[in-house]
Amino acid sequence: MLTLIRREIRDNIVYFIAAVVFSAILIALLTAATYNLDWISDPAVYVGLSIPMLVILVLGFSAMGVTQMYIDRNRKISAFLSALPVTRSWILAARIVAGLLAILTVLVPLTIAVIVMGRLIAPPIPIFAGYIADILTTVFLMVFACYCLGLLTGWTANKIAPTFGALGLNIVLVSLVFVKGFGPDIKFLLVLVIVACLIRTWHKFMSTSL
Amino acid sequence: MRSRPKYPIQVLAAGFLVLVFLSLSLFWARWVCKSILVDNMPMDYRTVNITASELFPAEIESDPNVLRHSVVHAHIIHPEAPEALGIANYLSEKALERYHSRIYSFDHENKEAVFVYFDGRTGQINCRWADFEKMPDGTLIRKKVLFYVGPEGVSEIPDKKLGRFNPVVIDFGSTPLILYDIKLRRFFAINFKDRIVTKGPQLSEDDPHWPVDIGILSKNPGVLDIYWSSPDIKTSQNHKDKALYSIAGNILTRERNSDYDSDQYVLVLDESGRIDLLDRETLEFAGPAGRLPAPETFFPADKRVTPDDLLAYRVLPMALKEDHKYRGLIAATVSREGTALALSVFDKKGACFESEDTRAKNSIGNRNVPSSSAVFFGTPWSPAITIGKFLLENLHPPILSMASYFTAGSIEAASGHRAMFLLPNSFIAMKGRDARDNIAVRFMYALLLMSPSIVLAILLAICLGKDATIVGIPRKTRRWWLLGTIAFGLAGYITYKLTRPKITLVTCANCGKPRRTDMDKCHRCGSKWDVPELTPPAWRVLNG
Repeated sequence: MLTLIRREIRDNIVYFIAAVVFSAILIALLTAATYNLDWISDPAVYVGLSIPMLVILVLGFSAMGVTQMYIDRNRKISAFLSALPVTRSWILAARIVAGLLAILTVLVPLTIAVIVMGRLIAPPIPIFAGYIADILTTVFLMVFACYCLGLLTGWTANKIAPTFGALGLNIVLVSLVFVKGFGPDIKFLLVLVIVACLIRTWHKFMSTSL
Repeated sequence: MRSRPKYPIQVLAAGFLVLVFLSLSLFWARWVCKSILVDNMPMDYRTVNITASELFPAEIESDPNVLRHSVVHAHIIHPEAPEALGIANYLSEKALERYHSRIYSFDHENKEAVFVYFDGRTGQINCRWADFEKMPDGTLIRKKVLFYVGPEGVSEIPDKKLGRFNPVVIDFGSTPLILYDIKLRRFFAINFKDRIVTKGPQLSEDDPHWPVDIGILSKNPGVLDIYWSSPDIKTSQNHKDKALYSIAGNILTRERNSDYDSDQYVLVLDESGRIDLLDRETLEFAGPAGRLPAPETFFPADKRVTPDDLLAYRVLPMALKEDHKYRGLIAATVSREGTALALSVFDKKGACFESEDTRAKNSIGNRNVPSSSAVFFGTPWSPAITIGKFLLENLHPPILSMASYFTAGSIEAASGHRAMFLLPNSFIAMKGRDARDNIAVRFMYALLLMSPSIVLAILLAICLGKDATIVGIPRKTRRWWLLGTIAFGLAGYITYKLTRPKITLVTCANCGKPRRTDMDKCHRCGSKWDVPELTPPAWRVLNG
């Protein structure tokens, strides 16, 4: 399994490098915003700044999912690997773990930075920690859901479907944040979307002939 | 066809995804329609003005020098404002000193942040501020003060003996801070300066008061504006106290204007929509003050509205700055759909003496068309957009439209504006809240409103049935698909298309119709494969 994960990381190293760079940019922006803007009085500024970032993050990880599945499908990588003592379930699981690792590469340093900044400048009111937890959990679930959508739409021999299909579906899914905010409703919905996407992907991946 | 293993799970997964994406896309399409409709609403559809002379002393209003009597004004700012969306709602609800916020006071300008907030873990109110202590040499030094407040008192250290507050309803604007504990069923007044907690009498279980808001009564204040302006009077020679009168006029008074606050009472909104007066000193109810008025909706709904039935409300108590004596109140409400406003004025005994709804002028020029109807058909392009909105609602799964009809009144009004699956602001749901007809007539009318959706579902089910027969889906599975498509309409049909088995069909030699290659018998006529008998030919090839 570890070998499979390593192979997935090696194959998608571009995304991992991009994740590290993006994480550094986000932390730099956060630091700049913290020390230059009055962060309590106008949350709209932060929402305004975070939306394009969220869009880039979501589209990036969706593209990663699409790439993983599209390349596999067209180069028959899993068909080749299945000839070795590896099952298709393992290949898919390794792929998802690699995707999760890439997402965490962006979000874990960002979360640590947010917590540290919060400790430094936010007043010691526990309610603020609740907001941060709400927003970061929603962002993580949204990014992972879009990655799963990428996996689902990428499993095709057609070039147009994964590109425009994933793009359209991601835009629709990201708009869910505007409709539902960061409360428990959206988290529940996103978990269901992730589960449904993974079931569909697993079925498509397993039932395709070698 | 034999169903593949775990086929129902795959169908459910695909169906859920289709439902989410379809509902979300339709949500935005409806939102655009609603936004255009309300943007087209002229200002007079959204505005109500009432001359509230009775609230002022007769000697002022009857003064011959009055140029303009006092006026109460309310208008809808923007009912489909982004504020109704979840993200804005989340941020505004949690924002400091808002209705649902647990941070009651926060001064971030100060270097040492000063705050008062409710800590849900301890059930106590934590308060921190900077105080000055006088030293023996007479100098003042700044000292950070931190204390904890519970139902049983105040302490400088967290102490369980202080007890726990449960979910509380609080009046942010009052000093001392007045709050109502929902579980303890009593009011408390907290004097932070003297560190005293005063308990009001406990309300008995059968007491009809169930407060949901105290003090400045408002919900979604960004949707609705309300103010009153004092009479415009020429400098009067008849009265000694000239300061009593507005000379310049047009002084617009809104909530939080301490000059016009009543010093004796606090307003308390009950979950039934009634407004009561609470005595600040005794923390006991001092009588009724009024109730939230019911706006006139597209299909006339119940006249007794609760706070949950309204998209927005604002209540403005009235007192004069000279005596701060409570004189009555003005209550304005916006309907669930955001298309109608009602404004009522109550006297100090809680009797309504003036009430008005938003209305549009008809072709003759009379103001007699309710704005809730006029918004759909009274402005340029509105009929076309209304039809578009109606058709979009009919693309929604019929079963969810039906559920919207039955749950129409039980969904909180503001959350209805961000609902994806149930549509409490659809025409069908509006009919569900109609208070005029009996249940059967209302249901038939709702079915009529749903008819495009039902027709579409039936057409799609017929298409699906034909395709499923060609593909050779077993009768039992086919029946489930038909039921699913009738229930979920377009979403069901798309799900079928996505999960339909992808197979190659060949022409059956017996019936001539397409048949599957992976089945032993033709699924149309039941004939087996016509396999020619491999009889060896009579001739042989021999080596010369």
